[in-house]
Amino acid sequence: MRRNVAIISVGYNGRFVSKRPDISIVEMLEAAVRNALSKTKLKPHEIDAFVVGNMHTFEGVNMGHLWASEHIFALNKPVMRIATGGTTGMSVFHCAYYHVASGLYDVVCAIGWEKHDEGDAQIGLGGILLPEVFSLAHFGPDFSGRRGAGLGLMGGGGGSTGGASFQAASYLAKSGGGIEHIDMAAALMRANAAKNPYAHLQVPDCKPEDIAKTPIISWPLRYGHTCPTSCGACAVIIVAEEKVKKYAETEKVAWVKGVACGTSDVTVGNVHDGQITDPADQEMCKIVAMKAYKKAGIKNPRKEIQVAEVYDGFAHQVLLWPERLLLVDDGASPKLIEQGYYNIDGELPVNPSGGVTSTNAIGASALVRVAEAALQVMGIAEGGHQVPKKVKNALAHGWGGLFQFNTVTILGDTPVKK
Amino acid sequence: MKVEEIKETKEIYHYWDLSAMKWRIESEGLALLMEGFKEKKVLGRQCHKCGTVYVPGPTYCRKCHIDIYRIVEVKDEGTIGTFTVNLADIRGNPLEEISIVVCVKLDGSDSWLMGRLEGWTDWREIKAGMRVKVEWSDKPKGTLSDLLNFKLIK
Amino acid sequence: MKRRVAIVGYKLIKNTKASVWTRERIYYELSRALLEELEITRDKVDTFIFGSNDFADGRTISECYLIQRIGAHMKDESKVEQEALNACVYAWMRIQSGEYDTAMIGMVSLASSQFKPLLVQNHVLDPVYERPRGLINYYSAAAFQARAYMERFKNFTESHIARYAEKGYRNALKNQYSLQVIPPSLEKIENSEPIYLPIRELEVAPYADGGGVVLLASEEKAKKLTKKPVWIDGFASIEDTYWIGERDLVKLDGLREAGKRAYKMAGIKNPEKEISFAEIQTFFASEEPIIAEALGLFDEGSGAEVIEKGLSEINGKLPVNPSGGSFGGNPMGGTSLLGLINAVKQLRGEADDFQVKNPKRALVHAQDGVCAQQNTVMILSTGGEK
Repeated sequence: MRRNVAIISVGYNGRFVSKRPDISIVEMLEAAVRNALSKTKLKPHEIDAFVVGNMHTFEGVNMGHLWASEHIFALNKPVMRIATGGTTGMSVFHCAYYHVASGLYDVVCAIGWEKHDEGDAQIGLGGILLPEVFSLAHFGPDFSGRRGAGLGLMGGGGGSTGGASFQAASYLAKSGGGIEHIDMAAALMRANAAKNPYAHLQVPDCKPEDIAKTPIISWPLRYGHTCPTSCGACAVIIVAEEKVKKYAETEKVAWVKGVACGTSDVTVGNVHDGQITDPADQEMCKIVAMKAYKKAGIKNPRKEIQVAEVYDGFAHQVLLWPERLLLVDDGASPKLIEQGYYNIDGELPVNPSGGVTSTNAIGASALVRVAEAALQVMGIAEGGHQVPKKVKNALAHGWGGLFQFNTVTILGDTPVKK
Repeated sequence: MKVEEIKETKEIYHYWDLSAMKWRIESEGLALLMEGFKEKKVLGRQCHKCGTVYVPGPTYCRKCHIDIYRIVEVKDEGTIGTFTVNLADIRGNPLEEISIVVCVKLDGSDSWLMGRLEGWTDWREIKAGMRVKVEWSDKPKGTLSDLLNFKLIK
Repeated sequence: MKRRVAIVGYKLIKNTKASVWTRERIYYELSRALLEELEITRDKVDTFIFGSNDFADGRTISECYLIQRIGAHMKDESKVEQEALNACVYAWMRIQSGEYDTAMIGMVSLASSQFKPLLVQNHVLDPVYERPRGLINYYSAAAFQARAYMERFKNFTESHIARYAEKGYRNALKNQYSLQVIPPSLEKIENSEPIYLPIRELEVAPYADGGGVVLLASEEKAKKLTKKPVWIDGFASIEDTYWIGERDLVKLDGLREAGKRAYKMAGIKNPEKEISFAEIQTFFASEEPIIAEALGLFDEGSGAEVIEKGLSEINGKLPVNPSGGSFGGNPMGGTSLLGLINAVKQLRGEADDFQVKNPKRALVHAQDGVCAQQNTVMILSTGGEK
């Protein structure tokens, strides 16, 4: 029999910024956990278990949760660590969900974080593909010359934005949109972020023309379409159904109705095994979304989901994901964003928090999507980014790895009936 | 002591020799591709169960999870699946030379190969679906550089 | 507990000093072999969970290209970045929730891909205090711990540490999947190069390249897949404080608590009598008596007596590491999965030369962090009990 689980509080350590030279990793985590606890009736010792995640190679501390044991109140408690690349945050959340859904624990705290200024993110990011790039050296590519280079580009093709620009170009070709639509998406994200006190890149009243002034890096992605590297931590506390009344401060909680995840073909740098998928297809996203809707008992997502927090590492994904999550037709996004469909006061608000395009602390980003979706369901999003309509169901989506990993979480204001 | 009371924090620099790595690769797919390049051919492997043609061709099919062995040749002509135009670096500084990187599905293959596009004049005219042909080096040696680039077929 | 969860199959490769196979190849072969043995295809596996560490693998998101190899293409997958036994715990939770019926766990760790594997492990130390201070590393901390035990129990001497190492090598020789290092003589171990006294070079478990996969299933599926399921009766995980000076390195309170909770979940009242054998994770020979006593398997301070009387030998009262444990090879971050597989082998009667007589219940242990800061304990059984 199903055990229902609710998010009772969400905490941040503070605003996400590019550098925090004044605190260490563990102090950042402590601030986030304290913030989450302060909005509940829980005492720290009443948390049964913790699930943590970040990309520790970016920070240079192997398994940071070991150092943080007292700071996050995890002394003498079980701590599990999950790491799956960009989706780390949501994988952490799913693990925390299974901790409670399995019946083993009643109160679990999920923490995702990243402190980029401690390490060198370029080394960490490069580390994803470094073996493939170096292995190509065995096969004699022309790394030096401008002309040719042929297959040698496989390791780092697509200039500085990597495979994202391929995905964006393919998406535009399929949907009939243009670079101006990506400008609109980026402007929407920056403007939304200005209404979210915790977001990193806040540009009040940002217009597509402002974004269009930034140079194109790798067509169709501009400098203004890419996400920043942010430092910050996010903590989410979840509780089993029977204990919600005891520990939640108010009646407003967000019920976890369905979770699903899946992985498909790696579409960047698959130099040894061949790339057989168009990065804009994202078949797996559709499958994962359908699984999550089924578990949540949602038959008509277009009518039943009121707000979506999608993982938009690059602005074109604001257009891509609503289609692949079956919330709108394939290819519909360009027209819809022109009409303001995705605005905070639109038909289907997408990323009222500003999304990943405005704030990207890699280990935390996918968890922040869940946290923001929960805030929307609970009706307590601060700063003006709470959507005006009543939110019955919200969708949170995470994506990462090398373009192949998708996770979806559906939250709602009432639990699924057993 | 409250966080607000701390007036000064110290920055600690520390260099640790993290460790050099040794990776092992088999890369049977690239090895086969290089063999074919010597003859100006593009070789891959096909799964005898589901028919997917992988280029470079690994010795297993990821869909059927079985060993595959059938070597197939695909044409050195194909269609642009997707592409990108490199105009500036990550900071936004314009590049000296504009380059276009394409993902090409060669005729007969189910996989995409990446390479530089040549034979174009205005990058704004490039679209997915255009036809390209491999430009081979004059004296192929069995290295990645034998495939010089993909040339736009007018 | 609503559903019982069992381990229905396993496959592992022999530990080597430097694997000639790539990580990718190993995952593919192991997964194929396991699925063939169980006569199922990969679509019958509901979820895949990796247990590996990015630092140890030397690359970020290390499971990226391994997903296709293990058979998780277009399927559900996750990664636990701790000792691989925790991946088993996560898989148990997923099955227990009712949303999944089968789960495959995979671990492949190639210590030989690192020139200095110890430095990777030392990155656990915090960059603000311990690292710059430079007084603690994995070896020196273990030496503190061994010395503390020797001070508290005066009959335990340096030569006893050597004896535990000798037992480890001797047992490992009988395990065809271990490194099978020719066991050095007791004298050779006692006189080997001192690292941080009282720890000597041959008392440190040798690094190795190794890997294994395990399939878990819910009760209904388990009975269809195998005639010899091994049941997971209980487990617990506890994290102690990071600061070495604040822990009692001999008592290991965190591990004690984990042991208690695991026994409670499994319904064990008297571990000394009810546990048939234990596979515990040690990097140093001196850790064995300390961990075994913290788990309540032997009396406190009995380290010298246990090894002198052979109580923890394969044919002893309560065998500890009959497979040789880490002395058969330590693939960084994954040794506990090999401990799990060896325990499953024993319970199914498939352990050949290192088989323990009539085992009914086993204890598997995993540790993370310096001096076993975080511990996971799991109890397995043949199902005859309960």
